[in-house]
Amino acid sequence: MALTLFLLALVYLLFVGFLVMLDVGTLLILAIVGAILLVQYFFSDRMVLSTMGARLVSEETEPHLYQVLTRLSSIAGMPRPRLAIVNSPVPNAFATGRNPSRSVVTVTTGLVRILNPDELEAVIAHELSHIRNHDVVVITLATFLSTIAFTIFRNWFLFGIGDRDRRASSLMLLPLVAGTTWVVSHLLILALSRYREFTADRGSAVITGRPSHLASALAKISGLMERVPRRDLREVEGMNAFFIIPAISGSSFFNLLSTHPPVEARIAALVRIEQEMEA
Amino acid sequence: MGLRDLLDAVLGTTRLPEADSDRLFAISTAVVTMQTSLDLEPSGSAGLCFKPIESSGSAAVRAEIEDLLNITARETSSAFRIVTDAYHFNWVILEDPDFEDLVSGIHIVSQTLIERGLGAYLLCAVFRFGRDRRVYWIYNFKQGRYYPFVPLSDSTRDAAFEFRLRSLLERELPIENEVERWYPLWGIPL
Repeated sequence: MALTLFLLALVYLLFVGFLVMLDVGTLLILAIVGAILLVQYFFSDRMVLSTMGARLVSEETEPHLYQVLTRLSSIAGMPRPRLAIVNSPVPNAFATGRNPSRSVVTVTTGLVRILNPDELEAVIAHELSHIRNHDVVVITLATFLSTIAFTIFRNWFLFGIGDRDRRASSLMLLPLVAGTTWVVSHLLILALSRYREFTADRGSAVITGRPSHLASALAKISGLMERVPRRDLREVEGMNAFFIIPAISGSSFFNLLSTHPPVEARIAALVRIEQEMEA
Repeated sequence: MGLRDLLDAVLGTTRLPEADSDRLFAISTAVVTMQTSLDLEPSGSAGLCFKPIESSGSAAVRAEIEDLLNITARETSSAFRIVTDAYHFNWVILEDPDFEDLVSGIHIVSQTLIERGLGAYLLCAVFRFGRDRRVYWIYNFKQGRYYPFVPLSDSTRDAAFEFRLRSLLERELPIENEVERWYPLWGIPL
Protein backbone atom coordinates (compact mmCIF):
# COMPACT_ATOMS: atom_id res chain seq x y z
CA MET A 1 0.00 0.00 0.00
CA ALA A 2 2.65 2.51 1.06
CA LEU A 3 4.75 1.32 -1.88
CA THR A 4 1.86 1.87 -4.29
CA LEU A 5 1.34 5.39 -3.02
CA PHE A 6 5.07 6.07 -3.24
CA LEU A 7 5.33 4.78 -6.81
CA LEU A 8 2.27 6.76 -7.80
CA ALA A 9 3.76 9.95 -6.39
CA LEU A 10 7.04 9.18 -8.15
CA VAL A 11 5.35 8.70 -11.52
CA TYR A 12 3.49 11.99 -11.10
CA LEU A 13 6.60 13.88 -10.06
CA LEU A 14 8.46 12.61 -13.10
CA PHE A 15 5.54 13.57 -15.32
CA VAL A 16 5.16 17.05 -13.86
CA GLY A 17 8.92 17.46 -14.07
CA PHE A 18 8.78 16.62 -17.73
CA LEU A 19 5.97 19.12 -18.34
CA VAL A 20 7.91 21.84 -16.55
CA MET A 21 11.06 20.99 -18.50
CA LEU A 22 9.06 21.22 -21.69
CA ASP A 23 7.98 24.71 -20.68
CA VAL A 24 5.01 24.45 -22.99
CA GLY A 25 1.75 25.85 -21.79
CA THR A 26 2.58 25.15 -18.15
CA LEU A 27 -0.04 27.66 -17.07
CA LEU A 28 -2.55 26.03 -19.35
CA ILE A 29 -1.74 22.62 -17.92
CA LEU A 30 -2.02 23.89 -14.36
CA ALA A 31 -5.34 25.52 -15.19
CA ILE A 32 -6.66 22.29 -16.65
CA VAL A 33 -5.36 20.26 -13.71
CA GLY A 34 -6.95 22.64 -11.25
CA ALA A 35 -10.25 22.84 -13.09
CA ILE A 36 -10.62 19.09 -13.47
CA LEU A 37 -9.68 18.45 -9.87
CA LEU A 38 -12.22 21.02 -8.68
CA VAL A 39 -14.96 19.69 -10.91
CA GLN A 40 -14.22 16.16 -9.78
CA TYR A 41 -14.03 17.14 -6.14
CA PHE A 42 -17.26 19.09 -6.10
CA PHE A 43 -19.42 17.42 -8.74
CA SER A 44 -18.32 13.84 -9.22
CA ASP A 45 -20.76 12.55 -6.60
CA ARG A 46 -23.71 14.30 -8.25
CA MET A 47 -22.56 13.17 -11.70
CA VAL A 48 -22.27 9.58 -10.55
CA LEU A 49 -25.65 9.64 -8.82
CA SER A 50 -27.45 11.16 -11.81
CA THR A 51 -25.84 8.89 -14.42
CA MET A 52 -26.65 5.83 -12.32
CA GLY A 53 -30.26 7.03 -12.05
CA ALA A 54 -30.00 7.07 -8.26
CA ARG A 55 -32.65 8.99 -6.38
CA LEU A 56 -32.17 10.17 -2.83
CA VAL A 57 -34.81 8.77 -0.53
CA SER A 58 -36.03 10.13 2.77
CA GLU A 59 -36.20 8.39 6.09
CA GLU A 60 -40.01 8.33 5.87
CA THR A 61 -40.04 6.30 2.66
CA GLU A 62 -37.25 3.88 3.67
CA PRO A 63 -37.40 3.61 7.47
CA HIS A 64 -35.86 0.14 7.55
CA LEU A 65 -32.78 0.89 5.45
CA TYR A 66 -32.28 4.17 7.30
CA GLN A 67 -32.47 2.36 10.62
CA VAL A 68 -29.71 -0.02 9.45
CA LEU A 69 -27.63 2.99 8.33
CA THR A 70 -28.26 4.76 11.64
CA ARG A 71 -27.19 1.87 13.80
CA LEU A 72 -24.10 1.00 11.79
CA SER A 73 -22.85 4.57 11.50
CA SER A 74 -23.45 4.99 15.22
CA ILE A 75 -21.28 1.96 15.97
CA ALA A 76 -18.65 3.21 13.52
CA GLY A 77 -18.82 6.65 15.20
CA MET A 78 -19.46 8.57 11.99
CA PRO A 79 -22.22 10.87 10.75
CA ARG A 80 -25.06 9.04 9.07
CA PRO A 81 -24.85 9.30 5.28
CA ARG A 82 -27.93 9.80 3.14
CA LEU A 83 -29.45 6.95 1.19
CA ALA A 84 -30.14 6.70 -2.53
CA ILE A 85 -31.79 3.92 -4.49
CA VAL A 86 -31.24 2.81 -8.08
CA ASN A 87 -34.09 1.01 -9.77
CA SER A 88 -32.11 -1.86 -11.27
CA PRO A 89 -32.26 -5.64 -10.99
CA VAL A 90 -28.44 -5.82 -10.93
CA PRO A 91 -27.42 -6.19 -7.28
CA ASN A 92 -24.90 -3.47 -6.48
CA ALA A 93 -24.01 -0.73 -4.03
CA PHE A 94 -21.64 2.21 -3.98
CA ALA A 95 -20.63 5.17 -1.87
CA THR A 96 -20.12 8.75 -3.03
CA GLY A 97 -19.27 12.07 -1.45
CA ARG A 98 -16.11 13.98 -0.74
CA ASN A 99 -16.36 13.85 3.05
CA PRO A 100 -18.25 11.74 5.57
CA SER A 101 -20.87 14.39 6.34
CA ARG A 102 -21.86 14.80 2.66
CA SER A 103 -21.84 11.16 1.72
CA VAL A 104 -24.47 9.09 0.05
CA VAL A 105 -24.78 5.31 0.16
CA THR A 106 -26.57 3.97 -2.90
CA VAL A 107 -28.10 0.52 -3.22
CA THR A 108 -29.97 -1.02 -6.12
CA THR A 109 -33.44 -2.48 -5.73
CA GLY A 110 -31.95 -5.78 -6.92
CA LEU A 111 -29.54 -5.80 -3.99
CA VAL A 112 -32.31 -5.19 -1.46
CA ARG A 113 -34.42 -7.93 -2.99
CA ILE A 114 -31.71 -10.58 -3.24
CA LEU A 115 -29.86 -10.21 0.05
CA ASN A 116 -31.23 -11.12 3.44
CA PRO A 117 -31.15 -8.41 6.15
CA ASP A 118 -27.81 -9.60 7.57
CA GLU A 119 -26.10 -9.61 4.19
CA LEU A 120 -27.58 -6.23 3.30
CA GLU A 121 -26.27 -4.85 6.58
CA ALA A 122 -22.79 -6.19 5.75
CA VAL A 123 -22.82 -4.55 2.31
CA ILE A 124 -23.94 -1.22 3.79
CA ALA A 125 -21.14 -1.50 6.38
CA HIS A 126 -18.68 -2.07 3.50
CA GLU A 127 -19.84 1.19 1.88
CA LEU A 128 -19.67 3.00 5.23
CA SER A 129 -16.04 1.88 5.51
CA HIS A 130 -15.28 3.44 2.13
CA ILE A 131 -16.74 6.69 3.42
CA ARG A 132 -14.95 6.45 6.74
CA ASN A 133 -11.63 5.75 5.00
CA HIS A 134 -12.12 8.78 2.70
CA ASP A 135 -11.66 6.46 -0.26
CA VAL A 136 -13.41 8.80 -2.69
CA VAL A 137 -10.88 11.54 -1.94
CA VAL A 138 -7.93 9.13 -1.91
CA ILE A 139 -8.84 7.76 -5.33
CA THR A 140 -9.75 11.18 -6.73
CA LEU A 141 -6.38 12.55 -5.72
CA ALA A 142 -4.65 9.47 -7.05
CA THR A 143 -6.43 9.64 -10.38
CA PHE A 144 -6.53 13.29 -11.24
CA LEU A 145 -3.02 13.56 -12.65
CA SER A 146 -3.59 10.31 -14.45
CA THR A 147 -6.60 12.02 -16.00
CA ILE A 148 -4.47 14.95 -17.10
CA ALA A 149 -1.90 12.64 -18.64
CA PHE A 150 -4.68 10.88 -20.51
CA THR A 151 -6.15 14.18 -21.70
CA ILE A 152 -2.78 15.34 -22.98
CA PHE A 153 -2.17 11.99 -24.62
CA ARG A 154 -5.47 12.27 -26.47
CA ASN A 155 -5.12 15.95 -27.34
CA TRP A 156 -1.38 16.47 -27.53
CA PHE A 157 -1.66 18.30 -30.84
CA LEU A 158 -3.46 21.15 -29.07
CA PHE A 159 -0.49 21.96 -26.90
CA GLY A 160 2.10 24.46 -27.98
CA ILE A 161 0.38 25.57 -31.15
CA GLY A 162 2.39 28.45 -32.59
CA ASP A 163 5.61 27.31 -30.98
CA ARG A 164 5.97 24.36 -33.26
CA ASP A 165 9.38 25.26 -34.66
CA ARG A 166 11.11 26.01 -31.41
CA ARG A 167 10.20 22.89 -29.48
CA ALA A 168 9.21 20.47 -32.16
CA SER A 169 11.43 17.70 -30.87
CA SER A 170 10.22 17.80 -27.29
CA LEU A 171 6.64 18.07 -28.46
CA MET A 172 7.10 14.76 -30.21
CA LEU A 173 7.97 13.26 -26.85
CA LEU A 174 4.89 14.67 -25.12
CA PRO A 175 2.33 12.06 -26.22
CA LEU A 176 4.81 9.29 -25.47
CA VAL A 177 5.54 10.48 -21.94
CA ALA A 178 1.90 11.35 -21.28
CA GLY A 179 0.79 7.97 -22.55
CA THR A 180 3.31 6.11 -20.43
CA THR A 181 2.38 8.13 -17.38
CA TRP A 182 -1.25 7.32 -17.91
CA VAL A 183 -0.71 3.58 -18.33
CA VAL A 184 1.65 3.21 -15.36
CA SER A 185 -0.41 5.37 -13.02
CA HIS A 186 -3.56 3.60 -14.07
CA LEU A 187 -2.07 0.24 -13.14
CA LEU A 188 -1.00 1.62 -9.77
CA ILE A 189 -4.47 3.03 -9.21
CA LEU A 190 -5.98 -0.37 -9.89
CA ALA A 191 -3.69 -1.85 -7.24
CA LEU A 192 -4.66 0.95 -4.88
CA SER A 193 -8.39 0.44 -5.38
CA ARG A 194 -8.05 -3.30 -4.91
CA TYR A 195 -6.30 -2.60 -1.62
CA ARG A 196 -9.10 -0.21 -0.60
CA GLU A 197 -11.67 -2.91 -1.36
CA PHE A 198 -9.94 -5.31 0.98
CA THR A 199 -9.74 -2.70 3.73
CA ALA A 200 -13.43 -1.86 3.28
CA ASP A 201 -14.27 -5.57 3.58
CA ARG A 202 -12.28 -5.67 6.79
CA GLY A 203 -14.05 -2.51 7.94
CA SER A 204 -17.42 -4.13 7.29
CA ALA A 205 -16.34 -7.16 9.35
CA VAL A 206 -15.26 -4.89 12.22
CA ILE A 207 -18.43 -2.77 12.16
CA THR A 208 -20.91 -5.63 11.92
CA GLY A 209 -18.79 -8.02 13.98
CA ARG A 210 -19.80 -10.68 11.48
CA PRO A 211 -17.39 -11.32 8.60
CA SER A 212 -19.42 -14.28 7.35
CA HIS A 213 -22.37 -12.04 6.47
CA LEU A 214 -20.32 -10.07 3.94
CA ALA A 215 -18.77 -13.27 2.60
CA SER A 216 -22.19 -14.73 1.92
CA ALA A 217 -23.40 -11.45 0.38
CA LEU A 218 -20.41 -11.39 -1.97
CA ALA A 219 -20.95 -14.99 -2.98
CA LYS A 220 -24.61 -14.31 -3.64
CA ILE A 221 -24.01 -11.15 -5.67
CA SER A 222 -21.21 -12.61 -7.76
CA GLY A 223 -23.17 -15.74 -8.54
CA LEU A 224 -26.06 -13.61 -9.60
CA MET A 225 -24.01 -11.20 -11.65
CA GLU A 226 -23.31 -14.04 -14.09
CA ARG A 227 -26.92 -15.03 -14.39
CA VAL A 228 -28.60 -11.67 -14.99
CA PRO A 229 -29.82 -11.15 -18.54
CA ARG A 230 -27.42 -9.53 -21.00
CA ARG A 231 -29.61 -6.49 -21.34
CA ASP A 232 -29.07 -5.57 -17.73
CA LEU A 233 -25.35 -6.10 -17.93
CA ARG A 234 -25.22 -3.88 -20.97
CA GLU A 235 -27.00 -1.18 -19.04
CA VAL A 236 -24.21 -1.33 -16.49
CA GLU A 237 -21.55 -1.43 -19.19
CA GLY A 238 -23.15 1.55 -20.87
CA MET A 239 -22.83 3.46 -17.65
CA ASN A 240 -19.09 2.88 -17.60
CA ALA A 241 -18.75 3.84 -21.24
CA PHE A 242 -20.36 7.17 -20.48
CA PHE A 243 -17.26 8.29 -18.65
CA ILE A 244 -14.74 9.01 -21.36
CA ILE A 245 -12.22 10.22 -18.82
CA PRO A 246 -10.99 7.10 -17.05
CA ALA A 247 -10.55 8.87 -13.72
CA ILE A 248 -14.26 9.13 -13.18
CA SER A 249 -15.30 5.72 -14.43
CA GLY A 250 -15.30 3.19 -11.67
CA SER A 251 -12.85 4.97 -9.45
CA SER A 252 -14.43 8.08 -7.99
CA PHE A 253 -17.12 5.75 -6.71
CA PHE A 254 -16.96 2.15 -5.67
CA ASN A 255 -18.84 -0.59 -7.34
CA LEU A 256 -18.99 -3.44 -4.99
CA LEU A 257 -17.60 -5.85 -7.56
CA SER A 258 -16.11 -4.08 -10.53
CA THR A 259 -13.20 -2.93 -8.43
CA HIS A 260 -11.14 -5.92 -9.21
CA PRO A 261 -10.11 -8.23 -6.40
CA PRO A 262 -11.69 -11.57 -7.26
CA VAL A 263 -14.56 -12.51 -4.99
CA GLU A 264 -12.79 -15.74 -3.97
CA ALA A 265 -9.83 -13.74 -2.64
CA ARG A 266 -12.14 -11.40 -0.74
CA ILE A 267 -14.08 -14.28 0.78
CA ALA A 268 -10.81 -15.98 1.77
CA ALA A 269 -9.68 -12.76 3.46
CA LEU A 270 -12.99 -12.57 5.34
CA VAL A 271 -12.56 -16.14 6.56
CA ARG A 272 -9.14 -15.17 7.93
CA ILE A 273 -10.66 -12.16 9.70
CA GLU A 274 -13.27 -14.42 11.23
CA GLN A 275 -10.53 -16.71 12.55
CA GLU A 276 -8.73 -13.69 14.01
CA MET A 277 -11.91 -12.52 15.72
CA GLU A 278 -12.51 -15.97 17.12
CA ALA A 279 -8.98 -16.21 18.51
CA MET B 1 -8.34 15.01 12.75
CA GLY B 2 -5.32 13.75 14.66
CA LEU B 3 -2.25 12.07 13.26
CA ARG B 4 -3.55 8.65 14.16
CA ASP B 5 -6.86 9.31 12.42
CA LEU B 6 -4.96 10.50 9.36
CA LEU B 7 -2.84 7.35 9.34
CA ASP B 8 -5.97 5.23 9.77
CA ALA B 9 -7.58 6.98 6.80
CA VAL B 10 -4.52 6.55 4.57
CA LEU B 11 -4.08 2.89 5.43
CA GLY B 12 -7.81 2.25 5.61
CA THR B 13 -7.79 0.90 9.15
CA THR B 14 -11.18 0.73 10.81
CA ARG B 15 -11.03 1.46 14.51
CA LEU B 16 -14.36 1.65 16.30
CA PRO B 17 -14.82 4.32 18.97
CA GLU B 18 -15.10 2.86 22.45
CA ALA B 19 -18.11 3.21 24.72
CA ASP B 20 -18.24 6.10 27.18
CA SER B 21 -20.51 5.27 30.09
CA ASP B 22 -19.32 8.11 32.37
CA ARG B 23 -22.46 10.22 32.12
CA LEU B 24 -24.99 7.41 32.16
CA PHE B 25 -25.90 8.13 35.81
CA ALA B 26 -27.01 11.69 35.03
CA ILE B 27 -30.49 10.31 34.34
CA SER B 28 -30.90 9.58 38.08
CA THR B 29 -31.22 13.28 38.91
CA ALA B 30 -33.23 14.13 35.82
CA VAL B 31 -36.00 11.82 36.96
CA VAL B 32 -37.19 14.39 39.54
CA THR B 33 -37.67 17.10 36.92
CA MET B 34 -39.45 14.64 34.67
CA GLN B 35 -41.91 13.99 37.50
CA THR B 36 -42.41 17.52 38.83
CA SER B 37 -42.33 19.61 35.65
CA LEU B 38 -43.87 17.18 33.20
CA ASP B 39 -45.78 14.77 35.41
CA LEU B 40 -44.01 11.92 33.66
CA GLU B 41 -43.22 8.95 35.89
CA PRO B 42 -40.55 6.44 34.95
CA SER B 43 -42.31 3.46 33.38
CA GLY B 44 -40.18 1.06 35.39
CA SER B 45 -38.36 -0.35 32.40
CA ALA B 46 -35.05 0.35 30.72
CA GLY B 47 -33.09 -1.35 27.98
CA LEU B 48 -29.58 -1.76 26.70
CA CYS B 49 -29.12 -2.34 22.98
CA PHE B 50 -25.98 -3.94 21.54
CA LYS B 51 -24.87 -5.74 18.43
CA PRO B 52 -24.10 -9.41 18.94
CA ILE B 53 -20.89 -10.34 17.16
CA GLU B 54 -19.61 -13.52 15.62
CA SER B 55 -17.40 -15.15 18.19
CA SER B 56 -17.71 -17.75 20.87
CA GLY B 57 -16.66 -15.03 23.35
CA SER B 58 -19.85 -13.17 22.51
CA ALA B 59 -22.00 -16.13 23.54
CA ALA B 60 -20.02 -16.50 26.78
CA VAL B 61 -20.64 -12.84 27.62
CA ARG B 62 -24.34 -13.30 27.08
CA ALA B 63 -24.33 -16.22 29.52
CA GLU B 64 -22.36 -14.11 31.98
CA ILE B 65 -24.90 -11.29 31.73
CA GLU B 66 -27.75 -13.72 32.34
CA ASP B 67 -26.02 -15.09 35.45
CA LEU B 68 -25.37 -11.58 36.70
CA LEU B 69 -28.96 -10.51 36.18
CA ASN B 70 -30.31 -13.68 37.79
CA ILE B 71 -28.32 -12.88 40.93
CA THR B 72 -29.47 -9.24 40.88
CA ALA B 73 -33.08 -10.32 40.37
CA ARG B 74 -32.93 -12.37 43.55
CA GLU B 75 -31.61 -9.43 45.59
CA THR B 76 -33.93 -6.75 44.25
CA SER B 77 -37.45 -6.86 42.92
CA SER B 78 -36.24 -6.59 39.36
CA ALA B 79 -36.92 -8.76 36.34
CA PHE B 80 -35.08 -9.01 33.07
CA ARG B 81 -35.37 -10.44 29.59
CA ILE B 82 -33.11 -10.58 26.56
CA VAL B 83 -34.74 -10.08 23.17
CA THR B 84 -33.53 -9.77 19.59
CA ASP B 85 -35.15 -7.05 17.51
CA ALA B 86 -35.99 -6.85 13.79
CA TYR B 87 -32.45 -5.64 13.02
CA HIS B 88 -30.86 -8.58 14.87
CA PHE B 89 -29.59 -6.39 17.69
CA ASN B 90 -29.85 -7.71 21.22
CA TRP B 91 -31.75 -5.90 23.96
CA VAL B 92 -31.29 -6.52 27.67
CA ILE B 93 -34.52 -5.22 29.16
CA LEU B 94 -34.77 -4.61 32.88
CA GLU B 95 -37.98 -4.05 34.85
CA ASP B 96 -37.77 -2.49 38.28
CA PRO B 97 -40.07 -0.08 40.13
CA ASP B 98 -37.01 1.53 41.75
CA PHE B 99 -35.44 3.88 39.23
CA GLU B 100 -32.03 3.85 40.97
CA ASP B 101 -31.85 0.08 40.70
CA LEU B 102 -32.81 0.31 37.06
CA VAL B 103 -29.99 2.75 36.29
CA SER B 104 -27.39 0.76 38.19
CA GLY B 105 -28.57 -2.46 36.53
CA ILE B 106 -28.09 -0.93 33.08
CA HIS B 107 -24.70 0.35 34.19
CA ILE B 108 -23.56 -3.07 35.43
CA VAL B 109 -24.57 -4.79 32.20
CA SER B 110 -22.86 -2.13 30.07
CA GLN B 111 -19.69 -2.42 32.19
CA THR B 112 -19.69 -6.18 31.72
CA LEU B 113 -19.84 -5.73 27.95
CA ILE B 114 -17.11 -3.08 28.03
CA GLU B 115 -14.83 -5.22 30.21
CA ARG B 116 -15.22 -8.15 27.82
CA GLY B 117 -14.10 -5.99 24.91
CA LEU B 118 -17.55 -5.54 23.41
CA GLY B 119 -17.95 -1.86 24.33
CA ALA B 120 -17.62 -0.80 20.71
CA TYR B 121 -20.79 -2.75 19.91
CA LEU B 122 -22.95 -1.00 22.53
CA LEU B 123 -25.52 1.00 20.59
CA CYS B 124 -27.44 2.74 23.36
CA ALA B 125 -29.26 2.58 26.67
CA VAL B 126 -32.92 3.56 26.72
CA PHE B 127 -35.01 4.76 29.69
CA ARG B 128 -38.73 4.93 29.24
CA PHE B 129 -41.04 7.44 30.92
CA GLY B 130 -44.82 7.64 30.89
CA ARG B 131 -47.31 4.83 31.24
CA ASP B 132 -49.75 5.65 28.45
CA ARG B 133 -47.39 7.49 26.13
CA ARG B 134 -43.86 6.56 25.19
CA VAL B 135 -41.23 9.09 26.15
CA TYR B 136 -37.65 7.87 25.91
CA TRP B 137 -34.28 9.20 26.92
CA ILE B 138 -31.64 7.50 24.79
CA TYR B 139 -28.03 7.39 25.96
CA ASN B 140 -25.58 7.14 23.06
CA PHE B 141 -22.44 5.39 24.32
CA LYS B 142 -20.28 6.69 21.45
CA GLN B 143 -21.05 10.32 22.22
CA GLY B 144 -21.58 9.87 25.95
CA ARG B 145 -24.73 11.96 25.68
CA TYR B 146 -28.49 11.69 26.02
CA TYR B 147 -31.23 12.70 23.61
CA PRO B 148 -35.02 12.55 23.80
CA PHE B 149 -37.13 10.38 21.54
CA VAL B 150 -40.92 10.55 21.52
CA PRO B 151 -42.40 8.32 18.81
CA LEU B 152 -46.01 8.95 17.80
CA SER B 153 -46.34 6.00 15.43
CA ASP B 154 -44.05 3.62 13.60
CA SER B 155 -42.31 6.37 11.69
CA THR B 156 -43.31 9.77 13.11
CA ARG B 157 -42.05 11.54 16.21
CA ASP B 158 -43.19 14.41 18.38
CA ALA B 159 -40.34 16.81 17.65
CA ALA B 160 -41.99 19.70 19.51
CA PHE B 161 -42.18 17.72 22.72
CA GLU B 162 -38.60 16.51 22.28
CA PHE B 163 -37.40 20.11 22.10
CA ARG B 164 -39.41 20.92 25.21
CA LEU B 165 -37.73 18.02 27.01
CA ARG B 166 -34.36 19.38 26.02
CA SER B 167 -35.07 22.89 27.28
CA LEU B 168 -36.41 21.58 30.58
CA LEU B 169 -33.56 19.18 31.25
CA GLU B 170 -30.51 20.67 29.65
CA ARG B 171 -29.09 21.72 33.00
CA GLU B 172 -29.35 18.24 34.47
CA LEU B 173 -28.60 15.95 31.56
CA PRO B 174 -25.65 15.97 29.15
CA ILE B 175 -27.81 16.39 26.06
CA GLU B 176 -26.51 15.90 22.53
CA ASN B 177 -26.10 19.40 21.05
CA GLU B 178 -26.39 18.37 17.45
CA VAL B 179 -30.02 17.62 16.68
CA GLU B 180 -28.87 15.74 13.57
CA ARG B 181 -27.63 13.03 15.91
CA TRP B 182 -31.03 12.53 17.56
CA TYR B 183 -31.52 9.39 15.52
CA PRO B 184 -34.87 7.67 15.91
CA LEU B 185 -34.99 4.10 17.14
CA TRP B 186 -38.21 2.61 15.81
CA GLY B 187 -39.81 -0.33 17.53
CA ILE B 188 -38.08 -0.06 20.90
CA PRO B 189 -39.14 -3.26 22.72
CA LEU B 190 -40.01 -1.54 26.03
